[in-house]
Amino acid sequence: MNDKAAEKVFRKKRDRRRRLAKLPFEKKIEIVVALQKAAAGIRKDSRHIVWPI
Amino acid sequence: MEKALQVIEEITRQGIIKAYAIGGGIAATYYIEPVLTYDLDIFFIPAKEGLDVLAPIYDYAKKRGFKSQAETILIEGFPVQFIPAYNDLVREAVENAATLRYRDIEAKVLKVEYLLAIALQTGRAKDKERVIRLLDEAVIDRAILRRILKSFELTDTFRKFERQFHER
Repeated sequence: MNDKAAEKVFRKKRDRRRRLAKLPFEKKIEIVVALQKAAAGIRKDSRHIVWPI
Repeated sequence: MEKALQVIEEITRQGIIKAYAIGGGIAATYYIEPVLTYDLDIFFIPAKEGLDVLAPIYDYAKKRGFKSQAETILIEGFPVQFIPAYNDLVREAVENAATLRYRDIEAKVLKVEYLLAIALQTGRAKDKERVIRLLDEAVIDRAILRRILKSFELTDTFRKFERQFHER
């Protein structure tokens, strides 16, 4: 039972990743920058620049 | 990012480098879900072989007023890392790059099959994760991949990798 539930979660995650993989490149770069901003909010590191796109 | 891509194209047009292709996290992001990355990795074939193949790029950057930070050049605040093609696989990958479009700019990017082969060859933990993601999410031409793996003696490495990490 637990196996099936976990399998369902993993399948959904995989499907979400595959959907994200199909986004236009410009949109993906926006997501990269959003990830950089989120990371900068957690840990300051002068080597890690949030891209000025 | 457009400005950085324009400058890289300009460096190529001026003959400072022979050819280039985007690699690393941004090339991966072109084919799979977006990944957190901080540098735009540019693999390039130098115009002239020599001891310091990066020098002409840094000279150009200095003339243009671009600063460097650690191992990157900041082009309009955008960190770009230039990496010379360090073996035959990377050289062939750059020579056979695809073209991507970002807004109104066209730029060269490693083809997904080469990106996968390079990650497999490099073999760090993050490269292995990249191979898994590429196999799972990207559209890969298996015939092209097989030819590349065979050419660079990576077929057995790939078979072992698939057995260990990836179910088809």
